[in-house]
Amino acid sequence: MTSYRIRRCLQAVPLLLGISVIVFALLQMTPGGPMAAGEGAQSQASAEQIARLRGRYGLDDPLWMQYLKWLGGILTGDWGASFNTGRPVVEVITERLPTTLLLTGLSFGLSVLLALVVGVTAAVRHRTLFDYVSTGLAFAGLAMPSFWFGLMLLFVFSYSLDWLPSSGLADLRFRHEGFAAFLDRAEHLVLPVAVLSLVSVASLTRYVRSSMLDVLGQDYIRTARGNGLPERTVVLGHGLRNASIPVVTVAVLAIPELFLGAVITETIFGLPGMGRLFVESAELRDYPVLLGILLIASVLVVSANLLADILYGRLDPRISYE
Amino acid sequence: MSDRTSAAAPPPSAGPREPAARTRHGVWRRFARHRPAAAGLAALALITLAVIALPPLIGYDPEAVSLADKNLPPSAEHLMGTDELGRDLFARVLDGGRLTLSVAAAAVGFSMVVGVAVGAVAGYFGGVVDNLLMRLVDIGYSLPALFVVILLVTLVGAGFWPIVLAVAMFSWMNTARLVRAGYLSLKEQDFVEATRGIGAGHLRIAVRHLLPGTVGPTVVTATLGIATAILTESALSFLGLGFQPPQATWGGLLYEAQRPVIAMGHWWRGLFPGAMIFAVVLAANYVGDGLNDAFEPRRSRR
Repeated sequence: MTSYRIRRCLQAVPLLLGISVIVFALLQMTPGGPMAAGEGAQSQASAEQIARLRGRYGLDDPLWMQYLKWLGGILTGDWGASFNTGRPVVEVITERLPTTLLLTGLSFGLSVLLALVVGVTAAVRHRTLFDYVSTGLAFAGLAMPSFWFGLMLLFVFSYSLDWLPSSGLADLRFRHEGFAAFLDRAEHLVLPVAVLSLVSVASLTRYVRSSMLDVLGQDYIRTARGNGLPERTVVLGHGLRNASIPVVTVAVLAIPELFLGAVITETIFGLPGMGRLFVESAELRDYPVLLGILLIASVLVVSANLLADILYGRLDPRISYE
Repeated sequence: MSDRTSAAAPPPSAGPREPAARTRHGVWRRFARHRPAAAGLAALALITLAVIALPPLIGYDPEAVSLADKNLPPSAEHLMGTDELGRDLFARVLDGGRLTLSVAAAAVGFSMVVGVAVGAVAGYFGGVVDNLLMRLVDIGYSLPALFVVILLVTLVGAGFWPIVLAVAMFSWMNTARLVRAGYLSLKEQDFVEATRGIGAGHLRIAVRHLLPGTVGPTVVTATLGIATAILTESALSFLGLGFQPPQATWGGLLYEAQRPVIAMGHWWRGLFPGAMIFAVVLAANYVGDGLNDAFEPRRSRR
């Protein structure tokens, strides 16, 4: 088991290297290349200055050496400087990270909770109205473009009913203290979390339901019922416990999805997170920041896949990798 | 989903019906019995027909400005209302739909070609080639698609082909995996050995004899690919990074609609373009589901 885990982790290494090669290739395609000076600065530089700069940044080295140097820089936290502000990319990204993590975390919790409640109920009441309605809604949720959903929610709850604010993380006109500040923050997060959770709630609910249906049809469930166990114990103790194995993997894979979905959510609601930073940087052609975020997102996807695989083996003792 | 359909279906008759299952007739019959899928196909055909045939008939140019008619809610004159420049939203939705659907169709076409080629080569030859190509598939799955699409379009510029290629670059992996799996199982069968025995070359075996066996999964992924491509292109345009105004796309119309809807309550600006995306994606998903059940009757869902 341990050897499997080590092997599986080692498999991720060439994958990450492949991704780093692609990101490096994209970096070579950017106008001005990897030279972290803005275009304005370049136009004032003489040919000799440019040559000296090229020498200092190692731009005359062979490409593979440049790649190794770049990779070394990435691994030691030197991600270059933003074209826009000149500040280190790592700094620019980390100050935007908390908003995205908060949004992603809340949405993940909500998605799992809702999917469990709805999915289990739908499976237990298989072929009832509740089952049909929730399954239909989940299917619709998968087809719903999140930006449209967000726009329509804003029209109803912000413009028409005026219950919730339309953008930002906090009320800018008034500084709240204590509990009021918490309420204010919550008010600003209701709609973004609803929009971001939409797709993951829909897909997780489908998984929970179908996994529960599989398990509830097993012999040991009938045996448990036959032994006179209360229905609650049968469904939650014996059913959900076994059904949750495939669900855990899918839930883990939903984390990078949520993280990527934050691009759209943060844009609709004007939240100062990493997704919004990505779009702003694309508008400004700020390539070092774009590539930095791309790298973080790729590593997140690879790690989630890895975690899902390992958890699956750990939770299900029937699987052996020897 | 298929509960409703199975309730309506005739009871399975005893006897040797199975051989017919794989024929084209059998696939079509099972697909038509899947009512949401049949409705989805009809909706897709209707919308495609509308965006092609209707624009000359409605009498409004999608880019004709008419300030006297600005910000009108839907009426008999303007079915979906007008925008802040008095442009007819129905004309713009149709015009944008044509572009959005063309992008999706072209992207899916590209990804099919790449996916089938990669999957066929990997599955047919196996060994090192297979291993290398599958690592490539892994990398494709690990790159966050929307981020890379945004980056590529930022680098190359937001034209028709850059957007098509960027979207296609992240939708060929499913096809490649399924085609590879099909080739792996098919190439071990006796008829392949027999064909080789009568002197058929690699190309002939791979294309004439093995490819038809992978049509099912390829068609299913193509259908679902249309949904993904539309969502990706729309997201790109919604972020303001796709096709540039005055050209309309469904995502682009939603991008323009943000302020009018949120600040001025012009709900029609957001409702209609988004409803079109939703309808097409939902329909494509239903069709994909129905095709899946039709090609794989034994694996049909509950």
